[in-house]
Amino acid sequence: MKPLAGIRIIDLSMGWAGPLACRHAADLGAEVIKVESCERFDWWRSWEATPEWIEDDGAEKSTAFNMVNRNKKDITLDLEHPTGRKLLLELVATANAVVENYSGGVLPKLQLTFEDLQSVNPEIILLSMPPFGSTGPWAEFRAYGSTVEQSSGLPHQTGSADDPPTMQHVAYGDAAGGMNGAAALMVALRHQQRTGKGQFVDLSQVEGLFPLGVHGILEFAVTGKSPERRGNSSTRFISQGVYPCEGEDQWIVIQTETNDQWDTLCRITGSPEATDERIGQWTKDKDATDVMFTLQEAGIPAACTNSARTLIEDPQLNARSYWQWLERPVVGLQPNPGAPYRALNTDGFPIASPAPTLGQHNREVLQGILNRSDKELEDLEWQGIIGTRPRMPRSHTSQEE
Amino acid sequence: MTHALEDIRVVDLSGSIATAYCGKLFADYGAEVINLESANGFPTRLLEPLMPDGSSAMHAYLSTNKLSVDRTELSDRQIEKLVRNADLVLDDGSSEVPQAPLNMSVSWYGAGGPYSDFKGTDALCFALNGMLRLIGRVDGPPIIPTGYQAQISGGINAFIGSLGYILGRENGQITEPISLETSIYESMLAFTDVGAIAAYNTGIEAPRMGINRYPPTYPLGIFPCKNGWIGLTVLTPGQWHTFCDLLDMPDFSDVPLFQTSVGRLQAIDAIEPIVQERLLGFDAEELFYKGQENRIPLARVPTLEELFSVDQFVERKAFSNASVNGTNLKVPSVPFRLYTTPPNFGGRVAQLGEHTEEVL
Repeated sequence: MKPLAGIRIIDLSMGWAGPLACRHAADLGAEVIKVESCERFDWWRSWEATPEWIEDDGAEKSTAFNMVNRNKKDITLDLEHPTGRKLLLELVATANAVVENYSGGVLPKLQLTFEDLQSVNPEIILLSMPPFGSTGPWAEFRAYGSTVEQSSGLPHQTGSADDPPTMQHVAYGDAAGGMNGAAALMVALRHQQRTGKGQFVDLSQVEGLFPLGVHGILEFAVTGKSPERRGNSSTRFISQGVYPCEGEDQWIVIQTETNDQWDTLCRITGSPEATDERIGQWTKDKDATDVMFTLQEAGIPAACTNSARTLIEDPQLNARSYWQWLERPVVGLQPNPGAPYRALNTDGFPIASPAPTLGQHNREVLQGILNRSDKELEDLEWQGIIGTRPRMPRSHTSQEE
Repeated sequence: MTHALEDIRVVDLSGSIATAYCGKLFADYGAEVINLESANGFPTRLLEPLMPDGSSAMHAYLSTNKLSVDRTELSDRQIEKLVRNADLVLDDGSSEVPQAPLNMSVSWYGAGGPYSDFKGTDALCFALNGMLRLIGRVDGPPIIPTGYQAQISGGINAFIGSLGYILGRENGQITEPISLETSIYESMLAFTDVGAIAAYNTGIEAPRMGINRYPPTYPLGIFPCKNGWIGLTVLTPGQWHTFCDLLDMPDFSDVPLFQTSVGRLQAIDAIEPIVQERLLGFDAEELFYKGQENRIPLARVPTLEELFSVDQFVERKAFSNASVNGTNLKVPSVPFRLYTTPPNFGGRVAQLGEHTEEVL
């Protein structure tokens, strides 16, 4: 059995962080119903929609959207229309939790505040995931995952002193926000399960990055000085470096933590003092993966630098069936990442369904849960309240993260 | 019910950073978390930076509101009883552990596979997950991110999976004891999965483009102003037009190539000089507020010295005090707040073995 079977979550979130939080709940067996609208579709389908993009089924081709929305159902509801709002509230009345990451001010404008949700379901949980939290002077400020990272102090801990504060070169705040959102949701569900009570849950995505940068925060708290930005040198390891290997842009990370590892590295590289230059000379004509295995077999921490392309071929991930291959309409066979946790000695939790298409489950949800007739569904579609094709947004900014 | 996770007992057998962070989230929300330590204590007690009395600040951060038991004072039978009576037992996968109602092993690469016996570090996870090769100057070498970021990510994911299964046990969905595992490496793929699948679909992968240059857009990064740094992310066409207005760059606003994020990224060398020049005329703080007023996600880029005094973080109590031997240490608070059952903000750090008798 799935641990969260019987729990229903309404996913109003868009982009990466909120949908990832809900994906964890879906992977653990919750029924997650994603709510978009034909005009206000998840902006991760595209932030630059054009009529040509719609015509070309662009909404169903977004790798990013498909990656974080598997195991979910998808319905469309125009929440700016009174009937769309009413249907959402009917759905909320049957749910355990609602998750949102709209810009501040959007839910009040739609009359979908926590109080509005509680008026139809006093036991409901609302997980709100604004970039800077729901309170404080920045509560309504806008941000993407990159903005969150820029605000977190982390860039002042990466790179060299003569470079600008250095970012992680992915939307770092988003995935971290998603993990923290999932954790927050589990905590609130546990309280609800024990007491029957819901509550408001406030996640600040930037505060979700403080634990990832805690090493520098603590150093400043203890010493009153910021850690020096040292590039690839480290005070934690006897040696640490990134060395070139055979081929274009191929690298190996090598670290030594103990004197034994250091002595072994010197022996393997054939130099009494394994300077960076000597190690680089030794690695430069060798295959990075071979070097990794050679050094790891000798007990030395080392890893080649995967690229986005080689990740799909990574032998460890494939041996553990991390990538699960599922057919999806429009895009065909696709790799899907497994959950990072699993039952021991298994191939991980099987993914039940790929990301849904826009409005794929309108009928299943509106008839199966809300008891609407075929005729009512036809009327809703005719009025544009539901649908399965995107329409050009009148303005596509107000609901972004 | 004062705390959302009360009446849950967690036993940490390993005290790795990952298991400790997982346990910390339980303790922050009121679970009883027992560190079952060796006579020398958990390895986290040795991590730098050290406070003036020699205590580890990292251990303090990870261990507020937990109990410490010296396992050498316990017989094998007592340890087994403690494990069997726990709701969750955490370990690092390095040794056999007695079956508890729920076990969670958090290891670097997971159980099984060709890397399962490999040495693991945070830097190696960044190398393997594909992030490392994106960071740094074009001519390399790539730059290693610092600290314990992979282990903390592993800890969060272990928390999600563990608590999900505790919920399942409590609601009757899970009826048998179960052993789970979390791979720290796989936890770090949360940051790069999307890039891997995109590369699979298109055959194209982003090269290392230089410091703070990366897809999917430009301007994106951290830039100097006349005083301090400003964080930029200009993504949508609307944001680009407003940004051009803000920096008084009308000639750039309507250039067809610049209407898409990819187009601007391709034209980075044409756009960057003027953006850099204009930004140097602004006060970073003023520009941040002006951008946000105009709905562009600009960011303050606080240094670590500034972080504790940013008004947003002060007002939200984003940092709280861990009490270590009577000394207060400022640490990050838990990032999510339940309003009816709030978390512990900071708390006391137990001395090694302080709760041995109490637990016995």
